[in-house]
Amino acid sequence: MISQISAVTSINLRSIPQRWGMSLATILSIALVVGVLLGFLAMANGFRATVSGTGSESIAVLLRSGSQAELNSGFGRDTVRLIETAPGVARDEDGAAILSAELYVITDATKRSTGNDASLSLRGVDDMAPRLRENFELVEGRMFAEGSNEIVVGEGVLREFSGFELNSTIRMGPNEWRVVGVFSTGGSVFDSEIWADIGTVQNLYQRGASYQSIRVQLDGETGLTELQDYAENEPRLDLDITTEKEFFAQSAGGLSNLIMYLGWPLAIIMAVGALAGAWNAMYASVDSRVREIATLRTLGFSGFAAFVGTLVESLLLAFIGGLVGALITYFVFDGVSASTMGGSFTQVVFSFAVTIQSVISGVVLALIVGLFGGFFPALRASRVPLLEVHG
Amino acid sequence: MNDLTLIRKSLFRKKTRAILLILSIMTAFLIFGALASIDRVLNSSEELSRADRLVTVNKINFTQTMPYAYWGRVGAVEGVQAVTHASWFGGYYQDIRNFVQAFAVDVDTYLEVYPELVMPADQRAALSERRDCVAVGADLAEQYGWAVGDRFPLSSNIWRQADGSSAWDVEVCAIMTIPDQELPTNYLLMQYDYYNEALAFNRDQIGWMILLTGDPANNDAVSERIDTLFANSPAETETTTEAAFSQAFVEQLGNIGLILSLVVGAAFATILMIVGTTMVMAINERTKEVGVMKTLGFSSSRIFTHVLSESVLLSLVGGLLGLGAAVLLLGGIAEVAGGQLPGLGVGRETWIQALGLMLAFGLLTGFVPAVNAMRLKIVEALGKD
Repeated sequence: MISQISAVTSINLRSIPQRWGMSLATILSIALVVGVLLGFLAMANGFRATVSGTGSESIAVLLRSGSQAELNSGFGRDTVRLIETAPGVARDEDGAAILSAELYVITDATKRSTGNDASLSLRGVDDMAPRLRENFELVEGRMFAEGSNEIVVGEGVLREFSGFELNSTIRMGPNEWRVVGVFSTGGSVFDSEIWADIGTVQNLYQRGASYQSIRVQLDGETGLTELQDYAENEPRLDLDITTEKEFFAQSAGGLSNLIMYLGWPLAIIMAVGALAGAWNAMYASVDSRVREIATLRTLGFSGFAAFVGTLVESLLLAFIGGLVGALITYFVFDGVSASTMGGSFTQVVFSFAVTIQSVISGVVLALIVGLFGGFFPALRASRVPLLEVHG
Repeated sequence: MNDLTLIRKSLFRKKTRAILLILSIMTAFLIFGALASIDRVLNSSEELSRADRLVTVNKINFTQTMPYAYWGRVGAVEGVQAVTHASWFGGYYQDIRNFVQAFAVDVDTYLEVYPELVMPADQRAALSERRDCVAVGADLAEQYGWAVGDRFPLSSNIWRQADGSSAWDVEVCAIMTIPDQELPTNYLLMQYDYYNEALAFNRDQIGWMILLTGDPANNDAVSERIDTLFANSPAETETTTEAAFSQAFVEQLGNIGLILSLVVGAAFATILMIVGTTMVMAINERTKEVGVMKTLGFSSSRIFTHVLSESVLLSLVGGLLGLGAAVLLLGGIAEVAGGQLPGLGVGRETWIQALGLMLAFGLLTGFVPAVNAMRLKIVEALGKD
């Protein structure tokens, strides 16, 4: 039985070149389906990796309650002072709280790809901010000086927006800024930000002594609950406190889900189209070998062997198609930089990421197309009427 | 037997094959219809905005506010026929997930600048009488089941009242609609004075201004005058047409047009290959038949036309079924989404483009086999085994 199956299968596979036009069309059409699916998944995965990969469990983000995003939040210096002495906040060797109070302003900058303006976050910070970003690293230049109109920009900003080269001067709104450094936080959302001295930002944007968020290093595992309890029982505080991980996970969901919900149905609809192609190709394969199959059956080969032979041919074409699609997507899209509007209406720069899981999903989709496309033609091959063909 | 019957018969001589081809053409046009509609919805605000309506925002970014006094100063600029202002309220209803697109506006001038917004005269009068009155778009009212006379607290995720509360008590006094157009009415207008007087911070600031110039030819001059007026002030402005403003906002999402074109392109490339190769094969199978027809006196050009018509017919049947499916699908989505995705549907322009694509596609896939059939010599055709 097995020898019959392998004999028929090898005859099938060796006959593929005789129908190279149909076979190639099948492979390429399946490759395109898989390519579209993987393109969307790479976009969704890349965006999600940037946004939710940012969060740390040991850092808490404090916003005014109910504000959801930094853009909507706001509080005064008094709140920051209370948190500086609050329980649950980690302290450095001098006993000072590891805490960064920040201001968040949106500014316009020119996108390289389109030449149009898009929104970027300009964050007013002090020298504590880098300590509350894991993987922070100054790639070029230096940090800004206190009270100056100097800025440091994230790598993503440099990549996607024009005018932010080191040592250049850039005008944002009525103000001029000098780029003195480039920083990286290992591909997180902060790479899409511009940082400047908080005092300067408060002044230039008429924010008085107000802040929009506080980031604190939590003191051990109980730090978060200690801090939350304290804030709840302190009438002068009106804050929502979450871990940074949770904060970013909330803001990542929407867009990456949207991309997924768009990508899968599209790929499935296209797969139905490709299915018709595979089906036709396999019918053509069976039709052109009707005489051959009938001869084999007369010689004693089983209908099942003929069935398997055709099905394997179909699956193989689909598998090649799936691999070709995955490879093309990998070489064309993996690592491609793009930016889109994230939470708070500002641009988030991210890289397309073709993951192993999505490649597997793509190949599985291709095999499903091959399975369904080959099934009925294979059934037909197994039921070739011997007498009619030879008659 | 006339030519059309002949074409139909040869197209469906292998039923399964014809149905499969139609199915695969259908999927491509379904994708085309659905994506073209999504693109249209995203750009609808641009399509339907008034050519002489300008938007003035803070030059730093549209999320930055500007002083209330700017409103009066813009009103005095030469060429400005009417000007109003609006502020983003960041509204939600009861639960923070129930987002309400709410603007704090000066109602009288707002309705002057947006004359397409209409409401019954008695509701319009009531709206100006009380400060806590709001006007709700019909789509939004339907979403939350609001009717005239309903009172509810409208919460803000940005603003606070001086007493610490973040909710403004409002009463629905008017329901707004936009007759004759597919424009969404999924927002709420509350009164600026009522909002502003209670603010704990950022009082006497406005978000943006909208103005009419009366004639698109004046747009450039008016925007320059306004922006010059506020140059070198702490809040410089940027004035653009309403269309350019909404377009810029959509573009912030990324190059959606490019992504959609790539997907549609991939879908069409797929079926082009499938249908193209299958058509070549189908005509090859009929070599003998074509030879017989030629022997009977069918001219080469008539045979050429036959084969081409066959592929065009195939493409039209598949394409129309695909667009039909897109209409059904979008109708279903619009139903599920409630009032949130107004204007979702296959537009006239999409139909025209799709018909053009169907013709082009049919001609393209039929051309090679048609030429083959036309060039076929009777001797060769009949001599084939």
